[in-house]
Amino acid sequence: MRVLAVLIMILAILIGVVPQFFNCQYDGKTLVLANGREVPMKCYWTARAALIIAVPLLAVGFMMAFTRRVQTVRVLGVLGAILGVMAILLPTLLIGVCQHTGASCSLVMKPALILAGILVIVVSLASVAVSGRRVEQAP
Amino acid sequence: MVWLDGVTKTYRLGKEGMVTAVQAVDLDVARGEFLVITGRSGAGKTTLLNLVAGLTRPTDGRIVWGDVDLWRMPDAQRSHLRNRRLGFVFQFASLLPSLTVAENVALPTAFGSHRREPGAHERASELLRTVGLADKRDAYPRQLSAGQQQRVVIARSLINDPEMLLADEPTSNLDAATECEMMALFAEIHAMRGVTILMVTHAPQFVPGCARLVEMADGAICARGSA
Amino acid sequence: MTLFQLAWKNVVGSAFRSWVVYLCVLLVTGLLFSFALLIGGTRDSLRLVQQRLGADVVVVPEGTETEIESALLMGHPVTAWMPRENEIKIARVPGVRTVSPQLYLASLANAPCCTAEMLVMAFDPRTDFTIAPWLGQHLGHSLSAGEAVGGSDVFVPYGEEHLRIYGSEIDLVGSLERTGTGLDTALFLTFETAYEVAENSRTEAIRPLEIPPESISAALVRVEPGIDPRVAALQIMNEVPGVTAIPASGLFQGFRRQIGGLLQGMLALLGIASALSLAIVGLIFSMAVNERRREIGVVRALGATQGEVLRALFAEALILALGGGATGILLAATVLYLFRDLIVVSLAMPFLFPPLPSLIALVGGGLVAGCAGVGLAVLFPVVRASCLDPAVAMREQ
Repeated sequence: MRVLAVLIMILAILIGVVPQFFNCQYDGKTLVLANGREVPMKCYWTARAALIIAVPLLAVGFMMAFTRRVQTVRVLGVLGAILGVMAILLPTLLIGVCQHTGASCSLVMKPALILAGILVIVVSLASVAVSGRRVEQAP
Repeated sequence: MVWLDGVTKTYRLGKEGMVTAVQAVDLDVARGEFLVITGRSGAGKTTLLNLVAGLTRPTDGRIVWGDVDLWRMPDAQRSHLRNRRLGFVFQFASLLPSLTVAENVALPTAFGSHRREPGAHERASELLRTVGLADKRDAYPRQLSAGQQQRVVIARSLINDPEMLLADEPTSNLDAATECEMMALFAEIHAMRGVTILMVTHAPQFVPGCARLVEMADGAICARGSA
Repeated sequence: MTLFQLAWKNVVGSAFRSWVVYLCVLLVTGLLFSFALLIGGTRDSLRLVQQRLGADVVVVPEGTETEIESALLMGHPVTAWMPRENEIKIARVPGVRTVSPQLYLASLANAPCCTAEMLVMAFDPRTDFTIAPWLGQHLGHSLSAGEAVGGSDVFVPYGEEHLRIYGSEIDLVGSLERTGTGLDTALFLTFETAYEVAENSRTEAIRPLEIPPESISAALVRVEPGIDPRVAALQIMNEVPGVTAIPASGLFQGFRRQIGGLLQGMLALLGIASALSLAIVGLIFSMAVNERRREIGVVRALGATQGEVLRALFAEALILALGGGATGILLAATVLYLFRDLIVVSLAMPFLFPPLPSLIALVGGGLVAGCAGVGLAVLFPVVRASCLDPAVAMREQ
């Protein structure tokens, strides 16, 4: 169980950190409006929003590592899976990244968030499945 | 039922050369009898039991079951004989640790032609009731005491309704009180089910009065009597 | 209980050993599958480009083969010019059926007059056989002035209606299928449109588009049926000075040589990783069988035949092989699919994720290879275990 919890924490850190370094704002590219004002592209906002998923997910992993109650692990597992789904939706449907396939947000941030989201879902559901078995086994 | 004719078993033991564990033994085991083999350590008792069961090939002599030489059968047929007609109670902890108690009892039904027969788990539950461990069916061996484990092994040995039970020092790891209980269980099985029992033991004082005794020393039978 | 259930229980019961074997198989099959996907993807990509070009021979200015291949593969801008009269000279070479000239241009990066930096390929609609078939099939008409067709990754930005090239507005009327190469970011338009853009760029763009008069960048050649393109290429080079004629089969040879070195390195790494992993699997099983000698003796005493012991142990290996293999393949496929664009850009190699039928075949092959590898690794310890004298096995600790 602790292994799964640590995996969730590692994935949470990746979800939070990777987008900060692979977005167009970080690469020095901005959107220039008709009035000459420069604003960040949407991948910048996706990167910021990723933190909103990463921080609670880190907490989920941390709590999962130290709780002994089966019910708590199951609730945390479900929560983790939901956050994993959000990590996938963020760069695809919710906010998105730049359309240009050569942009770092499209090359790295988007696939990294999707992959991390998938892994978070798998690990979270595995923790729910394994939590019940721990009660049945003998000391 | 089983007839040993001039059976010898010799092992090669590394640089020490050859060791004769059983020397020209003649033995007749009648159907339904309780035969006890005693003797000091190294007398060849366990080897004799293994020879009767076809677990090791004799260096010389014949072992005949009914009217068939055990070692003229192919391995599959010998395995089938052990599966259908024999039950084993070993000296050491012989339950598989990854299986529950009920699964261990039902294990012999996983082999040979039993594989497709239904009702194995029901029979296992019934046998566990017989040995007083019905409440432990879903436990794992590591959760049981030595005495409880041995009772599970006895239940396992009966799952296929064997004709003969082979028990190799089944009580050697148990305290005196449990040893007495275990022997009583064997006596009950012998009396109620008519199973032939071939037992190796250091404690012949606990065996039923109807048992026949055979004493071994240095690989040979040196005395025969009754309990 | 069946032998399979017994095997499953044994796998679950020895968690550490099972995880080690599972991870080793995951690594081997994941690497194997990735390698096969990369090789296959690159090959499919190159094949698609050659099909897309549709030419038997590609004629380019002498000394520009590498740049032109790089433009086609990676979409890098290229400047290559040869006299337009070469078109006529090439057409006169015996065995040549059709000659279609092309211009290779590039739009500007980070310029307000251009939507994005991209390779612009202009073709002559009277002789073209590269885009014309697609136009006929998908649009039903050829391109008008001011219209263009883009590769799969070319798009009109959200909120706009046209692409901008050197200040000219271009209608994007269609998108070609993905090739995994630079052609996916290329724009295809007619010579007429290209010359119009060049003319407009003098006033509309921050830098004018220069097309040397009476010049072309390349000529795509189709030969008569029965003519060997390699022979035709040699004849073209003999009769038209200052050009290099590349038969289609010889296209991208420079790239293939470069990538060959990289792939050999990967293959060596793969071989080492596989050998190590399978050695670990064999060792783990050997240790497991050794530790379980007494258990195997008991099982034989209870009536299991040698064959049943063999099958039960192989079933354990198969469970782990299938589990680890499936996970490794799934992981590799997911990573390669998600990061396919990064692979193209960072490794500078074309890559196309295979279609479903090829993918299924690769998955099946990967699983079979994984199971076969594990089966081979555990063969010796498992066979040895099944042949043990039961009494000897039970005697040993």
